[in-house]
Amino acid sequence: MSAVDITFFINAAVAIFAGWRVFVTDSMVRASFFLLISFLAVGVIMLLLAAVYLGVALFFMMAVEMMVMALFMVMFMMNPAGLNPMKMVHQEKVAIGVGVVVFAALSAVAVFGEFPSRPVPEGLQPVVSLGHELLGKSMLVFESAGVTLLATMIAVVMLTSHRGRYGDANHGSQPPGLEPGGDPADKPEETEEGGHHHHHHHHH
Amino acid sequence: MTITLLLASVGTVLLALLVGVYCVTAVDRAVAARITGEPRSPLLLAPLHTAARLWHAPHNETETPDRSAWRLAPVLYLVLAAMGLALVPWSRDFVPVDLTTGIVFWGAIEPLATVLIFLKGWASNAHFPLLGGYRYVSLGLSYILVSMFVLIGVALPAESLQVSAVVEAQSELWNVVRQPLGLPLFLIVGLGVSFWGPLNFVDAEDLHGGAASEEAGRVQLLWGLGRAAMLFAFSAIAASAFLGGWHGPWLPGPVWLMVKTLAVVWMLVALGHYVPRVSPERFLTIAWVILLPLAFLDLAWAGVEALL
Repeated sequence: MSAVDITFFINAAVAIFAGWRVFVTDSMVRASFFLLISFLAVGVIMLLLAAVYLGVALFFMMAVEMMVMALFMVMFMMNPAGLNPMKMVHQEKVAIGVGVVVFAALSAVAVFGEFPSRPVPEGLQPVVSLGHELLGKSMLVFESAGVTLLATMIAVVMLTSHRGRYGDANHGSQPPGLEPGGDPADKPEETEEGGHHHHHHHHH
Repeated sequence: MTITLLLASVGTVLLALLVGVYCVTAVDRAVAARITGEPRSPLLLAPLHTAARLWHAPHNETETPDRSAWRLAPVLYLVLAAMGLALVPWSRDFVPVDLTTGIVFWGAIEPLATVLIFLKGWASNAHFPLLGGYRYVSLGLSYILVSMFVLIGVALPAESLQVSAVVEAQSELWNVVRQPLGLPLFLIVGLGVSFWGPLNFVDAEDLHGGAASEEAGRVQLLWGLGRAAMLFAFSAIAASAFLGGWHGPWLPGPVWLMVKTLAVVWMLVALGHYVPRVSPERFLTIAWVILLPLAFLDLAWAGVEALL
């Protein structure tokens, strides 16, 4: 077994183990970073496959992505700071079924599929050829996809933040009461008007 | 032959890291002594005494921390600094790791370091550290973009993402002259990545020490080592990307690299002491409204210059 083989097996094991931990852990922040570890291991495997740019790009893209994901999940969900225990899996039976089917299908492709043997030509520069592909004849496709993704992200944030955690984002938002139907918590006490009415604060 | 080269590479990086950490601490003390006017402590061993004291100090425990993350984060941060330093060419022939995408790899080290600094604040499960960690990340994302644009600008005249090619392309003219906006912007990134001086939002004084408020003993020592190592590795990358790396007359390449790296270290440490800390809200505005457009301008400048 060569050093490349050993590196591959170690990273494959790390990728699978960390991927499994994503679903077992009870914290959104931990889940994000286990996913990051899994992706980093896959990035190393891509480096082994001589995809020098894509492997390294995976490192920084996933680092930023998982960090932003953890940050946004905590911001949008009601789990202060992501440290509270939380169930990370939903619809378990369906998910297990889909997982098994997809695993079987991918394994079948890997085991029974016939892969063409096309060795990389001598002196190929993977980074240069990738650059020519991305900014050459495939430029329109990639740039359209990029702009579409950006627009989608902005739209998703707009849609989700339209209704905030404590009510409509357009209105003065109020935290929920300490007891059901009670006064909004975390609000200065009002003396004259009598605080028992459900009043909205309109900020025009 | 390959084994010798491998050992030489590993040895060089580790030695440079040790020397670098010591130099950063020494320069920091010297600059601080100059500002305060106090006579410089005559003891050259003072940083080592501090390290020994921290090594033997007891560990701090908080309520249900994420223990593995708390202990692993500083170690991995130190590893990232070493990986960054390994990319730096010492001469035309000697580059510990001459990756064809070295510049992108450094671009990956910065966000990975951000993840670890977030864990520094998050893992201890305590109030001030958590605030520091979140604040650092929300501010850190703004200057990582600046770093990416500045680095792409450096790669343009070299027509390569390889650090050795970037250094080679500066044999006639250094990038600090060719792209005057690059180095100042990159230095700000360096202060951020090693959470130093005005950009130390994670361990900040206004948060009671932030993440550092719950650290003691070896964790504190490792973070101290780590950020000094990261500052040094960053300086070496900056010296290679903007100050011509190992290029220079009379002296051999490694000496020039060391001299330039220490010059950048001195600049960063002096900036850390002299520049006042802005409030996080204001820094966020500065980063997105001033620094990022300046980075665009730098990249456009580099592109036009490469076309001419």
